[in-house]
Amino acid sequence: MIPDDAVERLLESALNIGAACDKENVQQWEVYATQGYGHSLEIEAGRISMASGGGDGGFGIRIVEDGRYGYAHLVDPSSASRAIQQALSIAKRSPSIEGFELPGNELASKVGGMKDKAILDMGPEDLLEQGDQVLTRVAELDSRAVAVGGGVGVGAGAGALVTSSGIENGGVHTSHGIGIHVSIDEDEHLTSSYEGESSRSILKDLTASVDKAVHWSQATREKIPGGATEDCPVLMTSGGFSPLFSVVVPTAIKGERLARGESFWSGKMNEMVIADHLTLVDDGLMEGGMSSGSRDDEGVPSRTQTLVDSGRLNGELWSTRDAAKLMAEGKVASAQSTGSASRGGHTSPPICGCSDLVLSSSNQTMSRDRLIEEMEDGYLVHSVMGAHTANPTSGDFSVTTSTILRVEGGQIIGSLSQAGLSGNMAKALAGRVVLGDSNIRKGSYSTGSMHVPDILLMDGLRINPA
Amino acid sequence: MVVTTRQSDSPFSSGRLLDEDKITKALNMASELGAEYAEIRLVSETTNTASLKDGKLERAIPGQEVGVTMRILADGAWGVHSTSDVSSIIGQVESTFRLAKAVAARRSPSQTVVGLAEVPIIQDEIHWKSNKDVRDTDLDQRIEMMLAIDNEAKDDERIVSTSTGWSDEHIHTELMTTEGMNRIWSFQRSLINGMVTARDGDDVVSYRMRHGGEGGLEVIESCDLGEMGRNAKISALRLLGAERAPSGRFPLVADRDLTGVYIHEALGHPCEADLVAAGDSCLEGRLGTTIGSEICTVVDDPTLRGGYGCYPIDDEGVDPRPKNLIVNGVLTEYLNHRETAHRYDLEPNGGARAQDGLHHPLVRMSNTIIQGGSHHDLDELIEDIEFGIYACGSRGGQVDTGRGSFQFAAQEAWIIENGSLSRPVKDVSVSGMTLQILKDVDGLTKDSHLAAPGFCGKGQTVPVGDGGPLMRIREALVG
Repeated sequence: MIPDDAVERLLESALNIGAACDKENVQQWEVYATQGYGHSLEIEAGRISMASGGGDGGFGIRIVEDGRYGYAHLVDPSSASRAIQQALSIAKRSPSIEGFELPGNELASKVGGMKDKAILDMGPEDLLEQGDQVLTRVAELDSRAVAVGGGVGVGAGAGALVTSSGIENGGVHTSHGIGIHVSIDEDEHLTSSYEGESSRSILKDLTASVDKAVHWSQATREKIPGGATEDCPVLMTSGGFSPLFSVVVPTAIKGERLARGESFWSGKMNEMVIADHLTLVDDGLMEGGMSSGSRDDEGVPSRTQTLVDSGRLNGELWSTRDAAKLMAEGKVASAQSTGSASRGGHTSPPICGCSDLVLSSSNQTMSRDRLIEEMEDGYLVHSVMGAHTANPTSGDFSVTTSTILRVEGGQIIGSLSQAGLSGNMAKALAGRVVLGDSNIRKGSYSTGSMHVPDILLMDGLRINPA
Repeated sequence: MVVTTRQSDSPFSSGRLLDEDKITKALNMASELGAEYAEIRLVSETTNTASLKDGKLERAIPGQEVGVTMRILADGAWGVHSTSDVSSIIGQVESTFRLAKAVAARRSPSQTVVGLAEVPIIQDEIHWKSNKDVRDTDLDQRIEMMLAIDNEAKDDERIVSTSTGWSDEHIHTELMTTEGMNRIWSFQRSLINGMVTARDGDDVVSYRMRHGGEGGLEVIESCDLGEMGRNAKISALRLLGAERAPSGRFPLVADRDLTGVYIHEALGHPCEADLVAAGDSCLEGRLGTTIGSEICTVVDDPTLRGGYGCYPIDDEGVDPRPKNLIVNGVLTEYLNHRETAHRYDLEPNGGARAQDGLHHPLVRMSNTIIQGGSHHDLDELIEDIEFGIYACGSRGGQVDTGRGSFQFAAQEAWIIENGSLSRPVKDVSVSGMTLQILKDVDGLTKDSHLAAPGFCGKGQTVPVGDGGPLMRIREALVG
C-alpha cells in the first residue's frame, strides 16, 4: 500500500525545503510533510456501491523570525521558494512574541502500536471481502435489517518533521476502520443505528460494530409514549457520550482558553471541578493510540499528563507558541509546551489539542446492566444528534436522540421515538456520576481521541420527550 | 449533442493544468478496457486563511492545493482513484477499472446496476469573474477588515476575548470524460467570521457571526463589518445572565438563519436522491405528494450568484439549475446527480458536488431557500402567540434522513408572551420530524433572502447557502 521508502522520500524533500530556507537566511524553520495512501469501499442500500483508492499529501513550512511566525503550504516541493517567501512575508506582518522559538531536539520515547504490517499488506480485494463479511453479518442477524450506509477502509500514512533546531523525525502509521449504518423499516416504522470503530492495527472483529448497529435498531422498535419533561438520571453509552464529551472537554482544558477566561474551568486551577472519584488523563504515549506518537506535531516529546486528578483541575494543554504568547501577554506567569501541538494535516500550522484523552474513576465501575439497575428510573441514551452544536465555552448542550430507552425500577420498559436531552457538561460531571467498566474508544474526533466508558449521570440533565 | 465554446483568453482563466492529449489517451484506454464511462476531474484551489485573536494576527496561511480524481464505471459499478500527484493518475486506469469490475462482480441479480442519465456533452470554459479578484487582496487588507469587526466587538469589560477569521478561495476545475465532455470552470468564494466571548463571574457565553458568499473582495466589502461586531457584542452580553430556555412544545418563530438551517436539515437532506436510493430518506416514494403546509415553497438554487453554495457547473459537468423541491407544500423534485437521475428516470438537475479534487461527487445542496409568505414582519408573526419562542442565529443542525428527524440549535432566543418579545433565554434547540413539522409552518414574512453562509457535512464538507423569511411553526419541540 505504501512505498518502502515513503518516509525517506519525505525526509529528503523536507530537508531540501529546509536547505532552501537556510539559503534565504531564515532564522528558524520547520517543514512538516505527509503522504497518505489508502483503500476504501462504500456500502449503500445493502450492497458495496463503490471501491476507491489513492493518496494525497503535501508540505507545510513554518518559519520564525524574532518571535514572529509565518506559514505556507504546498503540494509540489519544487514550488518551495515561493512558499518560503510567502511565509516570510506573513512573518513580517505578525506580532513578535517574546521568547517564542521553535522546539529544540529533545529525546523522545518510542511509542509502539502505530503500524500494523497486516494493514500494509492489504489490497482492495481483501477490503472487498471484508465488505462482504459485513453485509452477510447484517443479513444473518436480522432479515429485516439493511445496511443503508457506511464503509470499510484501510490507510497508511508516512510523515516527516524536520526543523532547523535539529529535529529529523519520520515514521509510518496505519489505520483500519469501519462505519455501518443499519436500518429496519417494517410496518411503516423505521429504526436505525450507526456504529463505527477504528484502530491503528487491524480490527480483529469487524462484525462487532455490525452486531451493535443491528442490536440498537432492534432495541428501539418497541415504542412507548413519551412522558413529561423531567430532570432525571441518564445513562449514556460510550457511543452516545463520546461525541458530546469531545466537543466540550478537550476545548475546556486548553491553557490559552483557561488563561483568557474562555473556559468554564477558567480560574479554577487546583480546585475541585468534577466528581472526586473522576480523573482525566491526556495520554500522548498510548500504545496504538489514534492521536499518540513519540512526538507531537511540532516535535516536542509526547507525554502522559493528568489534567484532572480525583476531581481537581491540575493540568492544562499548551503548544509552544500559545505558551510563549500567553506569558508575553502577562496572562500567565509561566507556561511551557506540554507536547500538545496537533495539526489537521500539512495545510495547518500546529495548534493546541489533546491526544488520547481518558476519563476514569477510582470508584467501583459497573457493567451496563448494573448501571441500569443503579439508575432505577431514568433513560438510557445511545446516540445523539447535534453534538457539534454543544457550547464548549459554557459547557451547555441541547441535543436530540432517537435511540433512547425508558428505564423504570431498574428495567428497560421501552423506547421513545425521539427526545431532547439538555444540560451542562461541567455540572453533570460534578454531580453524582458512575462509570461503566470498560473504556471504549469511539473513534477519533477533530479534537483528539476520546476514551470514555458508559456513564451514568445522576444530576443536571433534562429529558424532553417528543 | 456537443456544444463547444472556448474562452481560453479569459483573464480569469488559470490556463489548463491537465495535459489534454495524455488525459484523452487515458480515457481511451478505459474505454478500450471495457469501461462504460470514465472521467478525470482536476481541482486546483488557491486559498488564503487568516485570523486575529484579540485584534492581533494569530495566523495567515496562503495555500495552493491540487487534486485529481478518476471515476470509472464498468459493468454498472464504480471504481475511483484520487491523488494529489496529478501525473500519476494516468497510470491508475487499469487498476481502477479492475476495482470497478470487482465491485460489479459482487452485485446480486436483484441489486441496482449503476447507469448515468444522458446530458448535453459540452466543451467550454466558464469563468465567473469577481468584481474584485480575491487573489489581489493583500494581508493588510484582510487584517484591516477583520479589525473592523474586532474594534466594535470588544469595548466592554465583560468581553474577555474576540476572534475573527478570514477565508477566501479561487477554485479552478477541469473535467474530461469518455463521452467527450471537456469543461473548465472557475469561481471564487470569500468569507469573514468572528466570535465574541463574554464573562460575568462563572457565567461565560459566546456568540458567533459570519458573512460571505460567492465572489471576491466585494463580498466582504458589502457587509457593514462594524455593525456585525457591535451586534455580536450586544448579543453576547445579552446572553450573560439569560435563563435556560424552557423545555416543551411551543409555537416557534425562527429568524432567517434558523429558517435556513431548518429547511436545509429537515427538507434538503431527505431530498438528496442518493440518500433516497440508499433507502435512507423519509421522502422516498413521496414525489407529487403533499408533505408541507401550502404556504411552503422551497428552492435549491446553485445559480443564485453571490450565494455561498453556488457554482457555475456541477462536478459531473452538468449545467446547474434551480430545483423546486416543494411547491405549495407538494414535493416536486429531488436533488440529483447523473446516477440517481438515471435510476429514477428523472432529468439531471446539476446537483453533483465534490469537496475538492480528491473526492468524488455526491448529491448535495447549494443555496436552499424557502420563499416568502404574506406576513409583513416579526410583529405580525408573533401578535397572536400567547407563549412561544423567537429563536435567532444558528449553531448548526443535524438530520437523520431515514427516520426524518432533525435537530438545530439557536445562538440566542427570546420568550414570546402575549404577542410581544419579553426576555432573552439561551440554549434553545429545536427538534422534530420532517413530515410533521413542514405541515406546521403557518406563517412566513414576505421578504426572503439568503442568510449567513454555512458548511454542510455528508462525509465531505461543502460550502452552502440557505435562508428564507422569518418563519412561524405552530408547535415545535424545544429543549
